Amino acid sequence: MKSQGIVARSLARSLAAPLLLALVTGGAACIGNLGDPAPLDPEETTTVPETPAAYEPADPVLPRLTTLQYRSTLLQLFGPNVPLLPTEADTSPYLFESIGAASTTLSELGVEQYEQAAEAATQYVFSDPLRRAVFVGCEPVAAPGDACTAQFLARFGRKALRRPLAPAELERWSNVALGLAQPDVWEGLRLATAGLLQSPHFLYRVELGEPDPEDAARRVLTGYEMASRLSFFLWNTAPDDALLDAAQAGELGNQDGIGKHAARLLADSRAGDTIQRYFAQYLDLGRLEGVTRNPATYPLFTATTNASMRREVELLVDHIVTQGGDARTIFSTQHTFVNSDLASLYGVEAPGADVATFVPVDLPEDGPRAGLLTLGAFLTMNAHETQTSPTARGKYVRERVLCQVVQPPPPNIDANLEPPSDGTPKTVRELLEEHRKNPSCAGCHSFIDPPGFLFENFDSIGAYRTKLPGDLPVDATGDLDGVALDGARDLAELLTTDKRVGRCMVTQLYRHALSRLDATGEKPALDDLEAAFAETGYDFRALLLELVTHEAFRTVRASEAL
Amino acid sequence: VKTLSRRTMLRGALGGAAVALALPTLEAMLSPRSAEAAVLPPIFGLFYWANGMPWHKGHGPEQEAAGYPDLWTPPTTGQGYTPSELLTPLAPYAPSVVTGLTPKTAVPSDPPGQEDGHMRGFMVAMTGDRIRPEGFDHPSHTLTALRPSLDQYVAKHPDFYGKEKPFYNSLVLGVSGARFHDYGHWNAISYNGPDSLNLPVMDPLQLYGMLFSVPTNVDLVKRRAALLDAVKEDAKDLQKRLGAADRARIDAHLTHLSEIQHRLELTGIACQAPAVPVINEDILAKTDIMADLLAHALACGLSRVFSFMLTSPATTQVFGNLGAVNDMHSTCHAGEWELVRKITTYQMQAFATLLGKLQATTDPTGTSLLDRALVFATSEYGEGWKHSVSEMGCLMAGKCNGAIRPNVHVREPDGNFSKAHVTMLRALGLPTPSFGFNGGETSEQFSDILVSA
Repeated sequence: MKSQGIVARSLARSLAAPLLLALVTGGAACIGNLGDPAPLDPEETTTVPETPAAYEPADPVLPRLTTLQYRSTLLQLFGPNVPLLPTEADTSPYLFESIGAASTTLSELGVEQYEQAAEAATQYVFSDPLRRAVFVGCEPVAAPGDACTAQFLARFGRKALRRPLAPAELERWSNVALGLAQPDVWEGLRLATAGLLQSPHFLYRVELGEPDPEDAARRVLTGYEMASRLSFFLWNTAPDDALLDAAQAGELGNQDGIGKHAARLLADSRAGDTIQRYFAQYLDLGRLEGVTRNPATYPLFTATTNASMRREVELLVDHIVTQGGDARTIFSTQHTFVNSDLASLYGVEAPGADVATFVPVDLPEDGPRAGLLTLGAFLTMNAHETQTSPTARGKYVRERVLCQVVQPPPPNIDANLEPPSDGTPKTVRELLEEHRKNPSCAGCHSFIDPPGFLFENFDSIGAYRTKLPGDLPVDATGDLDGVALDGARDLAELLTTDKRVGRCMVTQLYRHALSRLDATGEKPALDDLEAAFAETGYDFRALLLELVTHEAFRTVRASEAL
Repeated sequence: VKTLSRRTMLRGALGGAAVALALPTLEAMLSPRSAEAAVLPPIFGLFYWANGMPWHKGHGPEQEAAGYPDLWTPPTTGQGYTPSELLTPLAPYAPSVVTGLTPKTAVPSDPPGQEDGHMRGFMVAMTGDRIRPEGFDHPSHTLTALRPSLDQYVAKHPDFYGKEKPFYNSLVLGVSGARFHDYGHWNAISYNGPDSLNLPVMDPLQLYGMLFSVPTNVDLVKRRAALLDAVKEDAKDLQKRLGAADRARIDAHLTHLSEIQHRLELTGIACQAPAVPVINEDILAKTDIMADLLAHALACGLSRVFSFMLTSPATTQVFGNLGAVNDMHSTCHAGEWELVRKITTYQMQAFATLLGKLQATTDPTGTSLLDRALVFATSEYGEGWKHSVSEMGCLMAGKCNGAIRPNVHVREPDGNFSKAHVTMLRALGLPTPSFGFNGGETSEQFSDILVSA
C-alpha cells in the first residue's frame, strides 16, 4: 500500500495483518477500535490479529514544531519582546495537534512565513547594538575562522537545534555568516541566525535515534533527542540549558536519569499548561467553541457562559492532576469550580463567586451532578439548540471516554427527529425509538443512545430539569452495555470501575506523546502503561512519568533509510 | 483600473534577466514582434461556498416530502437560460451552469463514514477523487485528499504555465474564518495532495503585503534569498536519514524554499497597487476587499490561478445579519429551509461580487479579466439538511479566452461530476483524455459549454 502520512503508515502496517473487528451484539459492525481498521475483505474477519508478546518499536516520526511550540521556542531564544509573526496553523487529526504536526506537509506559504518570522526575530535582536552585544557576547570580526562567530553559532545552534552542531555544520554556518557579512559582520551573524531558525533541524524535531548495540532491529534516541522529546512533550517548548546539559552528561540514556529530569519538568508550571492543552484535545473541548444559545429560550446562558464552562473543565483537570488522585474520577467527582454563571446554572451556593471568580464547590451529595459528564461543557456541546441529543452525548461516552469507534450514519438517511405530523408532543426518546425502527439505524443507535438517555435530566445548556417541553416527564433510564442505569449519577458510579476508562486515558496520551496512532506492535507497551497506571491508583502525573521512562518513548524501529 | 506601465514593472527589480524570466507574458505582450498575439493566457479560479443549496425533490424522497420548491435549477436549458431565484444575483455575469451532477466515486466501507456528504462531495468536487481512506477518521473529522484540488492541479500542470514562471503559482484566499469547530482540516479547500493543505490567506493586509509590498532595501532581500541556499543545504543532510513519507515532506519543503527564493529575487516587481484595505469583517464587504486585491494581482500577472474560499465546508459561520441564531451547519441540520435559502442567496451575492471585480478589471491588453478567466464555483454537496450529494452545485463563469460558452444551462440528472472537470481542463488547454478517479473516471465533456478548438 502506498501511503504518505505518518498516520497512514501505522494504519498501513496494521492493514497488513487481517484483524478482527469487535462486534456488538446483534452482529451490526457498529464499533471497532481506532487503529485497528477492519479488513477490506469481509471473508477475513475470522483471523485474530497477531499481537507480539513483547513491545516492537514503530517507525520514527518527524513532527514539525506546533505553532505553540514554535512561539515558545522563539520566546525562549530571544526573550519576551521578540516579535512573533503568524505561522501555519496546526491541524489536529485524531484530535491531536501532535499527530497533525507529524503527518501534514508544510505549505509554501507556511515555509514563507517561517522565513519572515526568522527575519523579524533576528532583526529585533541585531538591529539594536546593545541587544546584539548582549546576545552574541563577544565582538565578531568578518574574517575566516573568527572565534567569536564560531563561539556564538555553537552556543546559539545548540539551543536552537537542541544538540551541538557537528563540526561541518558549524563551519558551514560560520561561512554563511562570513559570506553574507554585508554591510558589516553583524548582518552576517544575523543571517546565519535566521538561517538556523529556518533549518529543518530547527523546524522539525529530528528524533531518529542511534543504533542499539543490543538490538539491530531498533534504534535508541540519543540524550539530546530525549531532551527534545521530553521538553516538547511536557513543556511544549525546546529544552532548557539544564536539560541540554543533562543530555551532554549522559544522564538521559537510562530510565533513572530520564525519570529524574522528567520529574523536574513536571514540577514546573509549564507542565501544567501543557497538560491543560492535552486535556482540551483529549476531551474534544474545541467543539464547545462558538456554541451559542438563544437568550430568549435560555436566560441562564449568558454571553460568558460558554467560556465559563470551558474554564470549569480546566480547573477541574488541574485539580484532578495536581492532587494526584485517581484521574478517572474526573468522570465521577462531586468536586468542581463555579463562577456566578455556573452557580446559577447548577443552582448551587457559591459564596465569593462572580463572573471572573471561580470558587471550589462540592456538588450536593443527593443532587443530579457528579463528574465531567454532568457539567455544562459536555452537556452543551453535545446538544442541539432546541433539543438535547442523547445520540451526541452517548457517542461522546463511547468515543471519548471509552475510546470506542462508532460508525457514522449511513448516507441519505434522516438523521433528524421529526415531530409527528398529528402534533402530539413526543420526547426525544420517543422520537429516537421511532427512528430506531429503521433497521439500518437500529444497529448503531441501540449502542449509542442508551448511555445518552442517562443525561435527559439536563437540557441543551446543562440545566437540570424534571419536565420536558410539552410538560412531559423526564425519563433518564438507559444502560451501558446491558447494565441498566437510571440517570447520569449511575453512569458516573459505573465508570469508576470500568477498566476501559483508564485504558482510554493511556491510549490517547500515548498517541499524543508519540504523535501518531499506536501500532499493533506497541500494544504490549500500552498494556504496561495501563498496568502501571492502575498500580499508582490512576495518578495522571505518575502515568506521564511511566510513559516517558518506558522504552516506547525512546526507541524507534531501525530502517534502511537510517 | 489603469494598466501598469513597463517602467513600474521594472522599478526596484534586481536585474533585467530575472525580470525577463518572471514576466514572459508581459515581455511577449509588450514587445513589438508579438503585437499580434494580444491575448494573454487564461486564468483559472475556484470559488467555494459552504453547505450546498436549499433542498428540494431532486435531492431525494425525504427532501421531496418536505415540499419545498427547487430554487436552484434554472427552469429552462440551453444558451440564454432563464436564471433561477438563487442564480439571479449572478445573471449580469452570465455564468454557465450544469445541474444534476453527483459523485461517482466508489465508497469503501472501511474506515466507516467516507460517504458523508461533506467529505465525499467535497473531495469529488475539488479533486475528482474520493477521500483518502488511509488516515480517515470520521469521529475526529480527520480527512485528507488523495490528489491535488483542481486549483493546484491546474497550477502545477506542465502545460498551464509552460516556461512562464509566475510570481505565485497560485493564490489561495479565503473570507470567512469560521470552520467546523477546531478540526484543522476544515479551514481549507486547497490541497497539494495527501496531508498537504494550502490554508487560505484571510487577512487582507497580509494579502496586500504578499502582493504589493515593494521592499526599500533590495540588497537585504538579495541576502535573504542567498541565505536560503544554506537552508536547503541543511535540509539535504536530513533527507538522507528519513523514510519515504517524511522525505516527501522535506522534499516539498525544499521545493517551497526554491519558490520563495525565486520570489525574493523578483521582489522588486511593482504592480499598480490598490489602496491599502480597511478591515471589514462583514462577509460581503470582505469579499469585495479580497476580490479587489486579487483582481489587481491577476491584472499585473502575479499569478493565473486562484482559489477563493468564501466559507469552508460545514461552516460554522453564523449569518446573524440574515436572522440566523445558529451557525450555518446547524441551521442546515435543523432543517431551517428559509434561512438556508437566504444564506445561499447571500453566498451567490458574494460570488457576484468577485465576478464583478474580475469583469471590471482589465489586463494590460485592455481585456476584461472575466473574459480571460474560467471561474469554477462549487460546494460540498447538494444540500445540507440530509447531506445529499445529488444535484451538486457546478457553475462556470467567464469566457476562458473564448473556450467557454457563457450563459448556458446544461441539465444532466445523475451526471458524473467529473464531466465538469474534463470540460474545464480542456477549456484551459490542458490535454485531458479523461478525469475522475476510483469509479469517477470519465472522458466526456459538456460540449454545449466547451467551445471546440
